[in-house]
Amino acid sequence: MKAPPLGAFAAPNGEPHMPGPIQRLPRPMRTFAPGEEVDYVVVGVGAGGGVLTQRLARAGFRVIAFDAGPFWDTERDWVSDEQGAHDLYWNEMRITGGDHPLAFGANNSGKGVGGSTVHWASFTPRLHPSDFRIHSNDGVGVDWPIAYDDLRPYYELIERELPVAGPAYYPWGDPHNYPYAPHPLGGVGDALVRGCTNLGIGVVAGGPVAILSGSRADRPHCIYRGFCIQGCKVGAKASTLITHVPDAIANGAEIRANCMVGRIELGVDGRARGVTYFDPAGRERFQPAKAVVVAGYSIETPRLLLNSACSGFENGLANSSDCVGRYLMAQAGNVVLGRFEQPVRMYKAPPAHALTEAFYETDPRRDFARGFAIQTVGPLPIAFAKQMMTAKGAWGWGLRQVMMDYNHWAAFGFLGELLPNAANRVQLAEERDRHGLPVAKITFRLFDNDKKLIAFGKQKTIDVMGAAGAQEVVQEARYAHLVGAARMGSDPRTSVVDGFGRTHDIDNLFVCDGSIMPTQGSANPGLTIMALAARCADYLIAQGASIFTSSRRDTQAPPVRRDLSPPDTAGHGMPRLRSWRSTAPSR
Amino acid sequence: MAGHDSGLNEDGDRAATQQIEPPFAPPTARLERNFALADRDIREGRFQRWLALIAGASSALSGLEVTYEHYRGGYSRRIMYTPLVLSSALAASGVAAFVSPRAAKTLLPFVSVMTLADCGIGFYFHVRGIARKPGGWRLPITNMVMGPPVFAPLLFGTSAYLGLIASFLRRSDSPGNGALPLPTHSAHWAHAFVHGHEPIDWRQDLREGRFGGQMALAAAISAALSGFEAWYSHYKNNFRYGVQWTPVVIAPLMSVTALVATRSVRVAHAGLPIVSALAVANGSIGFAYHVRGVLRRPGGARKLVYNIIYGPPIFAPLLFAASGFFGLLASLLRRRRQ
Amino acid sequence: MTMLPRTIEMRPVDPQTGAPVGPLAQPGYYPDFHTLDQQSYWDAKTRAVVIDRVDNVPPIRFFNGQQARTLTAICDRILPQDDRDEAHRIPIVPQIDRRLFEDIGDGYRYEGMPPDPEAFTLGIEAIEQIAQAMHGRDFASLGPPDQEHILRSLHDGTPGAAHDIWLRLPVERFWTLLVTDCVSAYYAHPYAWDEIGFGGPAYPRAYMRLENGEPEPWESEEQRYAWNPPRWSVSGAFEPVGGKEEQPASPSQGGMH
Ligand SMILES: Cc1cc2nc3c(=O)[nH]c(=O)nc-3n(C[C@H](O)[C@H](O)[C@H](O)COP(=O)(O)OP(=O)(O)OC[C@H]3O[C@@H](n4cnc5c(N)ncnc54)[C@H](O)[C@@H]3O)c2cc1C
Ligand code: SF4
Repeated sequence: MKAPPLGAFAAPNGEPHMPGPIQRLPRPMRTFAPGEEVDYVVVGVGAGGGVLTQRLARAGFRVIAFDAGPFWDTERDWVSDEQGAHDLYWNEMRITGGDHPLAFGANNSGKGVGGSTVHWASFTPRLHPSDFRIHSNDGVGVDWPIAYDDLRPYYELIERELPVAGPAYYPWGDPHNYPYAPHPLGGVGDALVRGCTNLGIGVVAGGPVAILSGSRADRPHCIYRGFCIQGCKVGAKASTLITHVPDAIANGAEIRANCMVGRIELGVDGRARGVTYFDPAGRERFQPAKAVVVAGYSIETPRLLLNSACSGFENGLANSSDCVGRYLMAQAGNVVLGRFEQPVRMYKAPPAHALTEAFYETDPRRDFARGFAIQTVGPLPIAFAKQMMTAKGAWGWGLRQVMMDYNHWAAFGFLGELLPNAANRVQLAEERDRHGLPVAKITFRLFDNDKKLIAFGKQKTIDVMGAAGAQEVVQEARYAHLVGAARMGSDPRTSVVDGFGRTHDIDNLFVCDGSIMPTQGSANPGLTIMALAARCADYLIAQGASIFTSSRRDTQAPPVRRDLSPPDTAGHGMPRLRSWRSTAPSR
Repeated sequence: MAGHDSGLNEDGDRAATQQIEPPFAPPTARLERNFALADRDIREGRFQRWLALIAGASSALSGLEVTYEHYRGGYSRRIMYTPLVLSSALAASGVAAFVSPRAAKTLLPFVSVMTLADCGIGFYFHVRGIARKPGGWRLPITNMVMGPPVFAPLLFGTSAYLGLIASFLRRSDSPGNGALPLPTHSAHWAHAFVHGHEPIDWRQDLREGRFGGQMALAAAISAALSGFEAWYSHYKNNFRYGVQWTPVVIAPLMSVTALVATRSVRVAHAGLPIVSALAVANGSIGFAYHVRGVLRRPGGARKLVYNIIYGPPIFAPLLFAASGFFGLLASLLRRRRQ
Repeated sequence: MTMLPRTIEMRPVDPQTGAPVGPLAQPGYYPDFHTLDQQSYWDAKTRAVVIDRVDNVPPIRFFNGQQARTLTAICDRILPQDDRDEAHRIPIVPQIDRRLFEDIGDGYRYEGMPPDPEAFTLGIEAIEQIAQAMHGRDFASLGPPDQEHILRSLHDGTPGAAHDIWLRLPVERFWTLLVTDCVSAYYAHPYAWDEIGFGGPAYPRAYMRLENGEPEPWESEEQRYAWNPPRWSVSGAFEPVGGKEEQPASPSQGGMH
């Protein structure tokens, strides 16, 4: 059968902008007049910016959210092809250095409405309660200014909004259940479950991932095509593009796509008064606002703050602590690959579908603090070829030969917590981008605890792959999930923002993305970033207009607004059974 | 059938049993006696209690299946809870009908009709669900295999159908043998379904157990649906094991035989019991294989719940066995009056 | 595609019989699997992108003739295609040329590395210098074994000449860049997907056989055959980049999780 009944699938017609095969955007989108002052400008519509914009709009604020990249029409723009997904990533120049330089582009961040959630694998574990106090517990890193319990209601909300599919009982950290059922396993998940079980290591199958296991409203469930990292055309995988942005528009927010914000402007009163941005034609424009929120990812956020230096803030906005750009963190993300006698075909099923957090917590028997997770990944051919190049040193005939065995390989991603260090940082380079703005220069290196953790975790992952039955196991170094670089803290001398994301230096300037995380645990950060954004939104909403005028800093935690979820959140999925509140995790 | 005879015995005409049975009868004689009794009861339609229980049990099986199938779908719509509620209700009314003749005449038909309606709605939503998947009905095979199982609601419907039939039957403890108590009170709800001048005729057939044909039809339909499910789930598995072909071969065979049996008494008495027995055996063996398959999945018994949900569907072969069982019943029943 | 008359056997060999393998329309273990046959099951946009990749090979606009010739010879050794027939070779240099000409970046550059276009011109120049220094001939006209030895020295981080260039162009990073670009062109091509048995685009049609490596109804089972690289080849041995056991300097670039 060479063609489906009724012939080849044609391009969509009619609907002008489709965020999914059956999803529709509310129309028309509100547009503010040029120069019209709004309540909030949000810079970046990614994990953090998307959730925040939706909530502010729902609460009735006048919001414009800028994104440097396009407003995706998934039916027309995206492809089910590895190479063709190139445009989803932040491909503008960044310079990377240090003893252990990080890779960017496809490896790290997105550009366009939805931000990196457009191409994330969508693993959505929560942080553990212990993550918020690693300094108190283990004497490393720093404590958060907030505790797990402050974030828990927001985790619960976001898990329902995305929604997250996962096991009925998630045993680690603060044990909980998920609103949608776990996914079926693919070949890689089978290997992880088999390997872990053979070694007596606990493992969960089928989640937690923000991928629909059952269709919900206008989003079909996953079709297991394995192209998550190339953007999910199906709309099964959550991204703020399809989960929160449509509701933001429905509630009157304006999304200004293809507009790169170049500077945050300060007024004479020392308060932010708006942003200067480059419109799609490259013209410089000013957008006044009563308050500004930066949510541009851990590289672009510090870059924007540094690029906005002005008199009074010669070292960059909100940088009196000299912490902007510092304490940048990546997770160790080594990929461990195993070859099996029987075919695996790891391109099927979403890359993210099983994991173990059995090694998450500090274990006093080991010679390092903190821990790691092991997760499934599913490299497609080009990514796999690059892995063979580094992991096996393959080239020439050897490369052709090992690539012919692509279908026999399975891959695990090790995910290890690296500790924050002031020397790992984002600075400005000499080089400028097409708008004339200095590009970011990133310096990164591993420290002692990091190296020990990687050595141990790498070996464990290799052991699991072996126990799963692999005949040959190889691995390569990798770093994933950049967070930090504008960290939160209660002391203005050592941190950039407070526990709600408000910069210590400027009363109406906020940061609301992964940059504010002071430590990272070994959970993928997306869910935590969204939960922090929802909490930040509740704070802004509770404070109301006082944000725009007053310099009073209320440190009272806001009431949790459960009524701000997008439509289709309520009435779908399984009830939260009860909260298994663990007693042990913080040592 | 040996497994069932103790049930039949309990269900049977106790007074008669006690009179005839010698005090220390050898077990085989007792078995024969029980068979004879059961056979008579079935042929005469005196097994309302029994059929109600069967309907209840098969509904419970369907209920278990739908519980986890809809769990896989995340109970994404509230309506997905209805088959859960109704299957439990039907199972409970089956038991109630077993105990109380009144429940058999009131509760059982009511719940059965509700369930049938729900199955219709379910069928609609499953068809629509497939239509809304990427590619929709233009990718019928993939989307039927990976989307909501289209025929599962109809399969569930067969239990409701049995429940409905049961509500018309006589009970084994009801009086009389040949002559039937003719018209029941005219307010009986079944009158609503009957038109024309012979309102008694079909009910009388039912009550006399003269509905072998209908039973055979039910068996044919449920075997066909089960067979289709077996086909696509084994197809999804690429028929990794040769034995996966067996239900796919037996089910249509049984379905066709049962269909022919609705017309031919010969087939009903000769062919049908054989293929039905085959289906029962196959379903039981399939059940064993599926249990083994579940245990041999990655994680095995340590991931039991997950593996039951995502491994080979353990209740599906039992449902196939159930259709074989219906076939056996059909071959024992009397035919419609000519 | 080297200019030299081929006096040595370029093709891989069957280890049992020693007979050369190919040239084949489709090497690999899935001889009757063709992703392009499935194109009407793909969405329109994906189909357009993939078909364009196959049908419209971009012209050489960035490299000059000499550079293109050298780079072609290099790519022929980094991803040799001598087991493929002429009609089914996958163009690599035109794709690299297009990327550099259209200034399509990957979003970052290592500190100490020149921008990609400059890195390529410098690298090609350095390889030419090595060829001249060692053999007194240009790279493209060397025999494949000599070409492989030169490339191997880059892989090992021990190039034999052009040290002033390698000061400006860290050799391991250049090697990574070069191989990365080659595989990005080769394994983006449907012929390569057929070769390795990758299912290709899968929207709107889904996958349903997720476990045990079972093929979809439209995929095919593996039919393995044994083959070895040509006897003279050194590229079949797997050794760590930079010749060191420890981590190579460049981390993985693919997004994973
Ligand atoms: C391949 C890959 C897989 C991943 N998998 C997972 C996973 O499985 N689980 C998980 O939790 N996380 C995962 N992540 C990480 C996760 O996606 C990010 O950590 C998260 O999205 C970061 O959120 P953010 O709000 O900080 O920034 P982003 O989501 O990146 O959003 C930033 C947005 O801001 C815009 N922007 C930046 N600067 C400007 C400016 N000056 N003007 C206007 N707009 C601007 C950008 O265009 C972008 O859209 C993955 C990442 C990658 C790359
Ligand atoms: S595997 Fe599922 S979630 Fe991932 S891209 Fe495909 S349909 Fe979307």
